[in-house]
Amino acid sequence: MSDPIIVTEHLSHTYAAKQETSLRRPALVDVSLEIARGSCAAIIGVTGSGKSTLVQHFNGLLLPTSGRVIVNGLEVGAHGADLARLRRYVGMLFQFPETQLFERTVFADVAFGPRRMRLDRRELRLRVLQALELVGLPPKQYALRSPFELSGGQRRRVALAGVLAMKPEILILDEPGVGLDAEGRAEFYTHIQALHQQGRTVILVSHDMAEVAALADQLFVLHQGHLVMQGTPREIFAQPATLNRHGLAPPPLSELLSLLRQRGLPVPLEVATIDEAFRWLTHITY
Amino acid sequence: MKNGTSLIEFRRVSYAYPRAYRQRENSQDQPALSELSLQIQAGEYVALLGHNGSGKSTLARHCNALLLPEQGQVLIAGMDTQVAVYQRHIRDTVGMIFQQPDNQIIATIVEDDVAWALTVRGLPAPLIVERVDTALKDVGLAHLRKQSPQRLSGGQRQRLAIAGVLALRPRCIIADEATSQLDPLSRQEIVTLLHHLRDNYGLTILHVTHLLEEAVQADRVLVMKEGQIMMDGSPAAVFADLAYLRALKLAIPEPLELAARLRAAGIPISPAALTSEAIAQELAP
Repeated sequence: MSDPIIVTEHLSHTYAAKQETSLRRPALVDVSLEIARGSCAAIIGVTGSGKSTLVQHFNGLLLPTSGRVIVNGLEVGAHGADLARLRRYVGMLFQFPETQLFERTVFADVAFGPRRMRLDRRELRLRVLQALELVGLPPKQYALRSPFELSGGQRRRVALAGVLAMKPEILILDEPGVGLDAEGRAEFYTHIQALHQQGRTVILVSHDMAEVAALADQLFVLHQGHLVMQGTPREIFAQPATLNRHGLAPPPLSELLSLLRQRGLPVPLEVATIDEAFRWLTHITY
Repeated sequence: MKNGTSLIEFRRVSYAYPRAYRQRENSQDQPALSELSLQIQAGEYVALLGHNGSGKSTLARHCNALLLPEQGQVLIAGMDTQVAVYQRHIRDTVGMIFQQPDNQIIATIVEDDVAWALTVRGLPAPLIVERVDTALKDVGLAHLRKQSPQRLSGGQRQRLAIAGVLALRPRCIIADEATSQLDPLSRQEIVTLLHHLRDNYGLTILHVTHLLEEAVQADRVLVMKEGQIMMDGSPAAVFADLAYLRALKLAIPEPLELAARLRAAGIPISPAALTSEAIAQELAP
């Protein structure tokens, strides 16, 4: 990979045992990976596999127990590293971000982060309006409404706008689709894709394979803190047995195509979408 | 509560949340349930589908008197949920599990948690021991009985919540989005467990979900929208109309979509083939 924006080298992390409940098993073990600039990467794995621990290293919320994390040339946790700057560079949207909204208006909520960046008022206002526009909430209609009057999907987009207004180069999204219904999810994905197309690096944390298949171009599979698979969605989803061993299932369509292969139909690995499968299957039947 | 009556019966039930609540949930002024009628027989496995806000959970919460109808009647094994003296018995008849098992796990040791509701009801100790044993075996947690619930995985905690409900020997279990926080394999385990309970104990299951793939194995599928039941039939019958399901804001599983398109293009696939396995069998016999 020519131009990685994030590199980890032999990264390990063990949580300090503050409470009896935390097991002393390391959360990450010797993880080395590279995420390409401008890509949409997904970190996948079952609960407890270390996904969230990994991405929290990307903006310095956690520091390596051993190994190195380098984000855009800056080593996270090195002596004197500017973590505040790093966190503006790497925006993070946590799970269920809509529960973190608290201001009286949508505008105030989105402005909360950038206000702390000492921007002048015009710049601040511009950024908030642009961010709202970007997530499909036209400011004329939404800026002065209370976030609590909006639907769950809209509130999640307000939270996303709050992160975008800080203009991060890297955007980390932790389980962005969980809890949204089909419509809200599809809508949210459109906005993520738009951001990605503008050249920003997007990192998804997910256990929803359909979500990953729809958005990501690079997958990293974690299992018990180890990086166990990496590749494009097509490469990874064509190995259902290995995925299963790590507690994951391929998206339903990949599963169907694998079953067809097992039953003797020579479905090529390039076939991965409904359209491709439809074309291939109608082609061989006639 | 004799044979011949349904286990769960809704008679033209309407319900609207109090105003303060509605604002938080951002719903419109329409009621959460609107003149809804429904009968579920003992031993049925019913999947209840609908998008967020369609009224599924409101319906589920009427089944064990967590919510009471504003108009109409809900009868559980013939008992009207409005009648206060029936409510304890109704809640023993219909057990519920929710999206977040942690909200109903209270003890610090697995077996104590299962025993809790029995202890509160003052059952004799030997009986409690026996029921806890059976319930833990049924959900496959017998080997973890001395563990702390904190140490269990999400799927195991959901199974623990089911054991707690099972120990009360209910006739019906309602799973309200009980799988939606779980990873795909744990999710499948819970669905398999619910089917096992139906098949072996004749329990009635009402499985509330927004995932079509979880409904394909049910005996009967209900689809809700705006507080009303829009579709009611076998999985094959309901999933024959994908366009309508999409209009009801449900995500269509890709294998079903592919099968429908192939069928339309003249490739014979039985409408009863609803799982990937079944579809693969039809395409490559």
